[in-house]
Amino acid sequence: MNGLLAAPRAWIETFGEIAGFCGQVLGQVFGGRVFRFFGEALRQAGILILSSTLVICGLVFIIGLQCGIEGAYFTRGTGTPTYAGVFAAWCDLRELVPYAFGYMMAAKVGTGIVAELGSMRISDEIDALEVMGINSMTFLCATRLLASWMVLPFVYIASVRSGFFASYLAVVVQIHEVSAGGYSLIFWMFQNPPDLLFSAIKAMAMATVIVLVGCYYGYNARGGPVGVGTATAKSMVLNIVAVHLIGMLGTQIFWGANPRAPIGG
Amino acid sequence: MMILTGKTIVSAIRPPYPYGGEFVSQFLFALKLCWFPLLISTIAFGYGAVGIQAANFLVLFGALDRLGGFYVLSSIREFAPFVDAIVLAGVAGTAITADLGARKIREELDALQVLGVDPVKNLVVPRFLALMLVTGLFDVYALIFGIFGGIIATLVNGEPLGPFWATFFTNASTTDLWGSIVKTTLFGAIIAIVCCYKGMTASGGAAGVGRAVNQAVVIAFMGVFAFNYVFTQTLLATHPALNIPR
Repeated sequence: MNGLLAAPRAWIETFGEIAGFCGQVLGQVFGGRVFRFFGEALRQAGILILSSTLVICGLVFIIGLQCGIEGAYFTRGTGTPTYAGVFAAWCDLRELVPYAFGYMMAAKVGTGIVAELGSMRISDEIDALEVMGINSMTFLCATRLLASWMVLPFVYIASVRSGFFASYLAVVVQIHEVSAGGYSLIFWMFQNPPDLLFSAIKAMAMATVIVLVGCYYGYNARGGPVGVGTATAKSMVLNIVAVHLIGMLGTQIFWGANPRAPIGG
Repeated sequence: MMILTGKTIVSAIRPPYPYGGEFVSQFLFALKLCWFPLLISTIAFGYGAVGIQAANFLVLFGALDRLGGFYVLSSIREFAPFVDAIVLAGVAGTAITADLGARKIREELDALQVLGVDPVKNLVVPRFLALMLVTGLFDVYALIFGIFGGIIATLVNGEPLGPFWATFFTNASTTDLWGSIVKTTLFGAIIAIVCCYKGMTASGGAAGVGRAVNQAVVIAFMGVFAFNYVFTQTLLATHPALNIPR
């Protein structure tokens, strides 16, 4: 019995540790202590923009193409090809763009943070920071969180645009299912600014969790190069599960009770 | 990477076959790591993305029984394969890169070569085969739990399950199923090659291993999605019978 319970107990323990860690980092951001290192936060923001935007937009672009062709073929099957825009609008904005954003954030930014902080921990650089009298958690983790909050809403909007463009390409240019005007009419009729806001909230929740999890695993890495590798792999597991759960909860909260579609009364 | 793919396939086919034990242990390793994240992910995706949104749309027309038919389109053809690939790449792929990267850094791979053991044959081939098989099989698992998400969505809307199953089974076709499984098997191959390549070419100490894992995941995701687009496009265009609603 004890052996059976060991694994869940370990999970709960890790979860508690992560929650405590997240609380500390959030406290430092909201308490304003992070603004002592605002320059570092700006530098991290610059790194995010330069290294991640293109990859995220690229993945969302492919997903947008995917939504476009599925939508085009599905609506052709039901005999309503003019409504390919409905499928593309819902698939893009409400579901798959946030998911694709979360996946790529986890893969590029999350594991990147673990690798970076982990190797700092292994080579005792974090201890060196402490010795110099700098609060390492503020300097390393809180600045990264602040940077991601500053930059990622805009990255997200850019990636939504690239997804929309890709769906348009797939439906109108590639498959020639509907005319450009007909597609745009239906596509824009079935979404409105609150939808964009909800979808952005979902994506930002995912991004926050991913950055915090990445910081936790990197900051607490141990055991040489092998340890850094294992920590990176572990953070990815947690991130993927978190992305899916946040996606589901977000959909349930924002669209579960109200379809927000211009059909019927 | 292409060279590694060629080498892997050639040395998988050509005798001798010393990789049996390693194959089994890698298979079990991937199975043990992935089953739980995959379970949560597919139920969440099946209930949230597909279930709630499609049910929203269908409820407006009073046609919630068509949800079953929609799950054939969405679950079998699209999201079960790609959630499967995401979880396998994120969980098993990163573990493989971390493992091989650490061995490379500690010069164990060079030591193997000095001993006359071919690292491609003894390390890459079993991982390649195991990941292909495990991804293909996990696709069925992802399907089952994705449809379980659909069942939850139907029940939440207060509808009976009979019509769900009826439209599901009239719309399901074997072409969809084999398309899905072939697709995921090839995803597994892409993930294994990318992750093994990045692990075996890691350099530069602890930071190097972390960076290798990072790059491996990014490249694997991009590769899988790009391949998915091409495959779905080809399948749908060459099998028009798949698009007729029944």
